[in-house]
Amino acid sequence: MKTNKQELASTLLSELKLYINAGIASMHTFSGPLGNEDIFVRLNNKEDIASVATMVKKHQGRCVTVTPNGVEGGDEVAYHFCIEGVMLNAISFTDDKTVPSITPILKSADWTEREMNDLFAIKPVGHPNPKRLILDESIAEGVFKEYVSLSEAMAGAATCSLWENLNEAKQGESHE
Amino acid sequence: MSKAYKLPIGPVHIALEEPVYFKVHLEGETIVDVDILSGFVHRGMEALVLRKNFLQNMIITERTCSLCSNNHPFTYIMAVEKIAGIEIPKRAEYLRVIADEIKRAASHLFTIAMQAHLIGFHSLMTQTMETREILQDVKETIWGSRMDLSANTIGGTKYDLDAAKTKYLFDKLEELKKPLRELFEIFRENKLVMARTKGVGMLPTEDALRLGVVGPTARGSNVNNDIRDIYPYVAYNKLDWNVVLEEGCDVRSRTLVRLREAEQAISLVEQCLREMPEGPIALKGLPRIVAGEAVARTEAPRGELFYYVKSNGTDKPERLKWRVPTYMHWEALRVMMPGNKTADTALIFNSIDPCISCTER
Repeated sequence: MKTNKQELASTLLSELKLYINAGIASMHTFSGPLGNEDIFVRLNNKEDIASVATMVKKHQGRCVTVTPNGVEGGDEVAYHFCIEGVMLNAISFTDDKTVPSITPILKSADWTEREMNDLFAIKPVGHPNPKRLILDESIAEGVFKEYVSLSEAMAGAATCSLWENLNEAKQGESHE
Repeated sequence: MSKAYKLPIGPVHIALEEPVYFKVHLEGETIVDVDILSGFVHRGMEALVLRKNFLQNMIITERTCSLCSNNHPFTYIMAVEKIAGIEIPKRAEYLRVIADEIKRAASHLFTIAMQAHLIGFHSLMTQTMETREILQDVKETIWGSRMDLSANTIGGTKYDLDAAKTKYLFDKLEELKKPLRELFEIFRENKLVMARTKGVGMLPTEDALRLGVVGPTARGSNVNNDIRDIYPYVAYNKLDWNVVLEEGCDVRSRTLVRLREAEQAISLVEQCLREMPEGPIALKGLPRIVAGEAVARTEAPRGELFYYVKSNGTDKPERLKWRVPTYMHWEALRVMMPGNKTADTALIFNSIDPCISCTER
């Protein structure tokens, strides 16, 4: 059974108004010739993005990605969601380099929010794992000495005794 | 014998095509957790494209990735066409499907060949690569390149098919059918393949939905994220086909989805060749890109590929952002890997059809 996307899009739009406290600055929908609907909504208050994410979650939607963009006086952050094929693009504005993280609500936003922090220094406040994603510096900390090599581990996977021998050999020099 | 170990895989490693770094936490031989680090080869392409004009960016986006190379300019172009209000000729819609499906079949076969290699079944790997070679020949003959096809342009396609090329394509697709069927049977029935792939790297349906995974990774967990179906573009809604879904949620299911889709690609191309109307393949003259914003999506071999374009009336984009399919799959590895054996690490990793050059763009 195919989703009627026009109907879904108008349902989403009327629901959005209930979820968003501070209101919508502007809104338009691009209806494609093959029945695809792209909704663009500009939020008055960046805090409302959490409510939008909650609505997306309720409809079993997902976060496709987030596009930060430097504009005059701050940054524009466009969130792209997919709900049963309908694209919902919610665009917010921040002037203090922070936005509320939506990853606790939509796990699918995890990496893209971390990338936003790396590349645009816009901090997703409340992100459960706000580590660097790009150009990770931990590689310089001598981790190679800390770990067992794959070839040794793969050899150990062939039989138990091999693995036990490996364990023994490593005794005393492995780091816990 | 329950000693806890940490095992590094990468950033440069024989089992990985490209640099990414896994920290695998082991109890004996069993994986209990995995950390993933990426970002070793970030290329800054999103910054680069802002310095080039809309036509030059067709060339750059095609260089994001080798296996999904056709989908990058394709999706970018569709977003630009939405802003400019361009409707492409009917014939071009079918030509775009043909290029896309040939790339899809070739990409799937490559991943599957890598899987055969990783389970130590090397004759199967060579057999898969040999079958894929038919598609490589097709690409070289029709588009003049084995990887980057440059098939699309703003307003249509750059290539056309005459009677001789159409016959050649029909013949080559026919040649592909039997070996592809054989591969399908082996990957489905062979005991060795079954032992290494069934029940391995489980991604339950609810996790697939929660993590927003796409492409064969999602469809192997019975989640329909096929953009060709849920967000149709060009001629896909005019062709006779069904979304391929498997319910096993394991490495085997993801492989079967890919093999069935490779077979389906043949049918889709054949339908296009039969039903394609005559006429122009592209609009004449240079397009005018007004100020605006648009999103576009296609189903790349690895899954949903997303482009967002914002223009300001100049000949260069104000912002161009893309999200590649593999990007959504890394976090899924943290669900797939725990509970499996060390020796399956690379195999499970391969099953998401990883692409670091895409991820790092």
